[in-house]
Amino acid sequence: MMEVQTPLFLIIDDEESIRDGCKQALEKSGYRVLTAAEGVEGINIARESKPDVAFIDLKIPRLPGMVVAETLSREIPDTVLIIITGHATLDSAVEAIRKGAFDYLSKPFSPGQLRAFAERGLNHRNIKVEARRLREEKERREKGFITFVSHEMRSPLVVIRQYVESLKAIAGNRFDKEVDEIIERCVLRIEGLEELIERWLDLSRIESGAFAQKKKKLSLARIIAKCAEETAPLCEARSISLEITIPEDQLIIAGDEESLVRVFANIINNAARYTPSDGKISVSATCDECYVVVDISDTGIGIPLDKIPFIFEPFFRVKREDERHRGSGLGLAFCKKIMESHGGMIHATSKEGEGTTFVLKFPAHLS
Amino acid sequence: MSTKQKILVIDDDKDFLYATKVILELGGYEVFLAENGKTGVEMWKSVTPDLAIIDMMMETWGEGFSVLSKIRGTETGRDIPLFILTAVDLQGPFQSWGPPADFPKVNMVLHKPVKGDDLLRYIAREIGHKSI
Repeated sequence: MMEVQTPLFLIIDDEESIRDGCKQALEKSGYRVLTAAEGVEGINIARESKPDVAFIDLKIPRLPGMVVAETLSREIPDTVLIIITGHATLDSAVEAIRKGAFDYLSKPFSPGQLRAFAERGLNHRNIKVEARRLREEKERREKGFITFVSHEMRSPLVVIRQYVESLKAIAGNRFDKEVDEIIERCVLRIEGLEELIERWLDLSRIESGAFAQKKKKLSLARIIAKCAEETAPLCEARSISLEITIPEDQLIIAGDEESLVRVFANIINNAARYTPSDGKISVSATCDECYVVVDISDTGIGIPLDKIPFIFEPFFRVKREDERHRGSGLGLAFCKKIMESHGGMIHATSKEGEGTTFVLKFPAHLS
Repeated sequence: MSTKQKILVIDDDKDFLYATKVILELGGYEVFLAENGKTGVEMWKSVTPDLAIIDMMMETWGEGFSVLSKIRGTETGRDIPLFILTAVDLQGPFQSWGPPADFPKVNMVLHKPVKGDDLLRYIAREIGHKSI
C-alpha cells in the first residue's frame, strides 16, 4: 500500500498578506502549506520538501518568478507549478506556461478561487506522477522482455542446433537420403524461428529506443547503392533488372546507416521475391529543401488493394500460393518503425498483376 | 602415434558441452568437459590439453574472461591454442563481439552454434591431427 500523505503546498510570494491568506485558505482544506518570501528561499524549500503544488508569484525579490518556475520544472518535474500574476504580467504567465508551469492565477483572487486552483493542481500532479510511473513500468518491462527473449529463448535454440550438428557428425553417410533431408528441414525451421526472434527483438529494441538512436549526417545515395550491390546477385539469379535513377546530389539526411541499409535491402529484396523473371525493379529519388523521397517500384505480382492497409502490421502476410520462402512477417513492420524513428514515412501503392511501389519519405537534413 | 590429442571445453551449458563432445570425439580427439570456470582451470592444470574452448557467456561475462586470463597466465597455457565461444552480441543486432585489443591472446572466436565440420577444421588447423 502506498502511504497517503496530506498534500503539501508551497507559496512563493513577497506580499505577506498573500502568503498568510493562501496559507490559511489551504490549511482550512486540510492541506500542509510552506511559504517563502523570495526566489532563492523558494527554490531551496522546494528542493528540500518537494511540494505537490507550488504557487509562484512572478515579481519576487532576489530571483524572478520565471527563473524559479524554470528551475523547479527542470529539477522536480513532479511538482505542479501555478503562476500568480498581477494583470500586467499576463504575457509572462504565458511564457511561464511554455516553460513548464501548469496554469496561472491572476491577482486579486478569492480563497475559493485559490482552492479551486489547488484542487486542479493536485489532480494534475496525480496524473503526472501516475503517467511517469506507467512510463517507467513500461520501459522496465520492455527491457526485461528483451533480456528474457535474448537469454531464455535463444540459448535453447542454439543448443538444439548444436545437437543437430552432432547428430550430423554421428550420422555421417550412414543414413538414407530421406533422413538427412528431414534433419535439414528441421534445421531450416529452427533457423526460421531464430530469425523470427531476432526480428522481433529488433522491433522491441526500436520501441525501447535501444536501436537506431545514433543518427548522423549521411548520404542516402550511397546507402541505396550499397543495397543495390547486395541485392544484385538475387536479381541476376532471377533475371530481374535493377535500375537506379538518383540525382547527382547525395540526398543528405540525418539517420542511422545500419538500420536504413536494412530498410532498403528489405524492400528491394521483397520486390525481387515477388517479381517474375524478366521483370524490373526501379529505384528513383527526388529531393527538395524539405524532403528526400525514394520510390521503389517493381513489375511484380502486386498486393491486393484490401490488404495494403495491413502490410506494415507485425506478422501480417499476404497469402500466396507456391511461396518458396516464408519471411518472418516482420520485415515491413521493421521498415515502418525505422522510418518513423527517422521522422519519415513509408507507404505503398499497388496494382495486382502490374506491380507495387513503395514510397519512402525522409525529412531532408538542414545544413 | 596412438595417443589422442586432448581438448578441454568449458561452458556452463551441459547440453552444449555434450553436443560438442560428440563432434570432437568423432573427430578423433579425447575430450574433457568443465561446467564452470573453476573446474575448467583446475582441469587445465591436471589434464594439460592441446587446445581449449572457452565460453565467454557463462553465468557472468567476467567468468569466461577470468578463465582465459588464468589459463594464459600458466606456464603451459602461454602458447597453447585457445578458442572462445560467443553468442550474438546482446547490445545490438549487427555487431558480433570481437575481443578488445588488450585481451589475452585468442586464436579463434567461434559463434554459437558451431558447425561440426568447421569446428574440426579450425582445430586441425591449429594442432593438426596426430591420431589419424
